[in-house]
Amino acid sequence: MQSHEERLRPLMLAALSGDATAYHQLLRALAPLLRGYFRRRLSGADEDVEDLVQETLTSIHSRRMTYDPARPLTAWVFAMARYKLIDLLRRGEATLSFDGMEEVLAGADFESATVAKMDVETLLASLPAKQARAIRDTKIEGLSVAEAAARGGISVADVKVSVHRGLQQLGRRLRGP
Amino acid sequence: MTTSTEQLIDRLAAGFSPPPPHAVERGVAFWLAGGTLLSLLLMLVSLGPRADLAAALHGTAIWMKAGYAAAVAAVAVVAATALTRPDAPAPRRLWWLALPVLAIAALAIAELTRTPRESWLDLWLGKTWRVCPALLLMLSIPILLALLRAGRQLAPTRLRTAGAAFGLTAGGLATLVYCLHCPESTACFVLTWYSLGIGLSSLAGAILGPRLLRW
Repeated sequence: MQSHEERLRPLMLAALSGDATAYHQLLRALAPLLRGYFRRRLSGADEDVEDLVQETLTSIHSRRMTYDPARPLTAWVFAMARYKLIDLLRRGEATLSFDGMEEVLAGADFESATVAKMDVETLLASLPAKQARAIRDTKIEGLSVAEAAARGGISVADVKVSVHRGLQQLGRRLRGP
Repeated sequence: MTTSTEQLIDRLAAGFSPPPPHAVERGVAFWLAGGTLLSLLLMLVSLGPRADLAAALHGTAIWMKAGYAAAVAAVAVVAATALTRPDAPAPRRLWWLALPVLAIAALAIAELTRTPRESWLDLWLGKTWRVCPALLLMLSIPILLALLRAGRQLAPTRLRTAGAAFGLTAGGLATLVYCLHCPESTACFVLTWYSLGIGLSSLAGAILGPRLLRW
């Protein structure tokens, strides 16, 4: 299980040293990430979403010299995405969904938070449903063990065990090769 | 994935070539050099170097002024270059500007302590205080425009901050050019009027940045 950063940065580094295939792969991998990023922030305007995806990909391409190989790639990509999103909103051509507003206002750190959240979702998806749900309820949404038990219709002890085992498994996976 | 996006990706990838290393720094340096050269020409044509330049170069005052200008420009250009990248953090190292300012302020205090109180105003206003900030602003404009031109091809996302940093850089370099003309010799003068000119240039950058740097 790899984060987006671990998967994508080597592609960019290979591209910078002249590997056009890696570059092609990188753009193809970025498109769905960008689509998800914009879709979550724009209320149902699929055309705007696709326009922004294309604009951002074009900017990534024409401004690729501004990537500093010593820095994270995803931060660079989402900084451009955020700029394009704000630019569109400033032109008054789209409205932000309520979810998106909070994050755009929250400032520069939210790209990494988004990426981290997407990675967490990928990780949780690899766990048995009960464990994933127990972890999501207690560790991400911040419910108490009792509330999570009531919501899931399982016992308090079951929630505790599920969280414990799930985290153990994730830990093993993250440490693994 | 939609077809048009796929086609776009294929087209972009087909036109791919790796950027040369340090393309950002080289681009900024190229335009900076061009702008500074223009500013120098502008100074030579409109103001001319001071008549006693050769003699002045043996004194200390001109080096005090040039040192101040160069230090400001050096701190500013680092911040300006960093701000051309989309994921640039806020330019915290601009605090280093305090070093040249404090150094000149210390020299200014030394000047004041060894000068009788009735001559303080001369130290401070010199003969050219009315024109100095405006001339500095004038000489900074070619450099500022060149930097904005460089910035457009890059990817600044804090446009006002980047514009101000460009203006600060342009102001510092314009001051360096202006040293060849300016006959003033006191730290009190430099601290006030040079700084004001550099400040005006930064302000011009902050105003122009959001308009000219969009991409």
